[in-house]
Amino acid sequence: MSKSASARALARSQGAERSLTFVTGLLALFAGTAVLVLGVGWFGTYRARRPVLDPAVTEWLAAREPVVPRVIAIVAGLVLLGFGLWWFFRSLRPEPKPDLHLDRTQGHALTVTAGALSAAVRADTESVDGVTKAKVRSVGDPGEPALRLQIWLREGTDLRRVWQDLDAQVLARARTALGVETLPVAVRIELGASPRQRVR
Amino acid sequence: MRVLVRLLSTLLGLAVAAAGALLALEVAWQWWRPADAPLAVPWPAWRDALANTGWDSFSVRVAAIVVAVSGLVLLLASAVARRRDVRLTDPATDVSVTTSPRSLARVVGTHVRAQDNVTSASVTASARKVRVRASSTFESEEQLRPRLTESVTGLIADLPLVRRPKVSVVVDSPRDRR
Repeated sequence: MSKSASARALARSQGAERSLTFVTGLLALFAGTAVLVLGVGWFGTYRARRPVLDPAVTEWLAAREPVVPRVIAIVAGLVLLGFGLWWFFRSLRPEPKPDLHLDRTQGHALTVTAGALSAAVRADTESVDGVTKAKVRSVGDPGEPALRLQIWLREGTDLRRVWQDLDAQVLARARTALGVETLPVAVRIELGASPRQRVR
Repeated sequence: MRVLVRLLSTLLGLAVAAAGALLALEVAWQWWRPADAPLAVPWPAWRDALANTGWDSFSVRVAAIVVAVSGLVLLLASAVARRRDVRLTDPATDVSVTTSPRSLARVVGTHVRAQDNVTSASVTASARKVRVRASSTFESEEQLRPRLTESVTGLIADLPLVRRPKVSVVVDSPRDRR
């Protein structure tokens, strides 16, 4: 089941990072436990007393053609390098803020920058009754940008009314202004946020 | 926790990349110039050391325990880092709404504290469960609990939540201690 564009825009996806960390943890746990079990002697007392770098293994390796293990080791090293770099940069990169391309024809290209879009929508959102503060940013891939609104509501605000106002004033306006039919929007609401009061 | 997993993931990626680069580099170097064998990693010394340690030696056991425990830490960190937002019903197509468990707890807390005879209250909330601990000086648990449960359930029913959380109320009252 694939999630809708607006549901995907709710928060940054961390699926790949989480699963890679999970799998690494699983491998480390299995390897550590296996070595412990081997060392305790559950696979045979004699097996546990053999050296870690077993002469049987080194002799088996020495009997082969030396080219094959070397090539395998170099290729494995390069694959690990590429995979590790992809993993590293994937986890490190900030969440993209795509611009909205309204027209891509040569000579008539029209782009709304992410900053302009979010500033305009933010000003509209903050004018809705009951909203004390709003943050807006564009998210998603450049081909299919979405908006993420984070809004703070005053205590006792009726959610349904705020939604109607948001949909009628802010989102409908954004859609007509941009001339797009659909604009996936994710809204994160903070309820009952009262302004901090100073202690007297 | 989500930041921690991102950090761990970055470090793991870097470690894998570094290990791969060193492996390829050392093997290629040893192939090209066997005489100047170790380039950066003193692997001949490691090889000799490993040839003289058994699987049942103390150092191997310590290393295995360290590896297993750090694996467990990675597992737990990535398992805990899930999203905890509370989904609200979608007001329109192409619009999705969530709120934070904290703000749900804040709304319930304000509501509970405004009830009669509630001295103080603390609330924890998630998408599945709302726990209220209230204390009251004048009313006993038997009197206050049904009233609070009912009013909190009513409050939550008014919110357009996708799944209705269960409400549990505990009242702490000096009248019950006599």
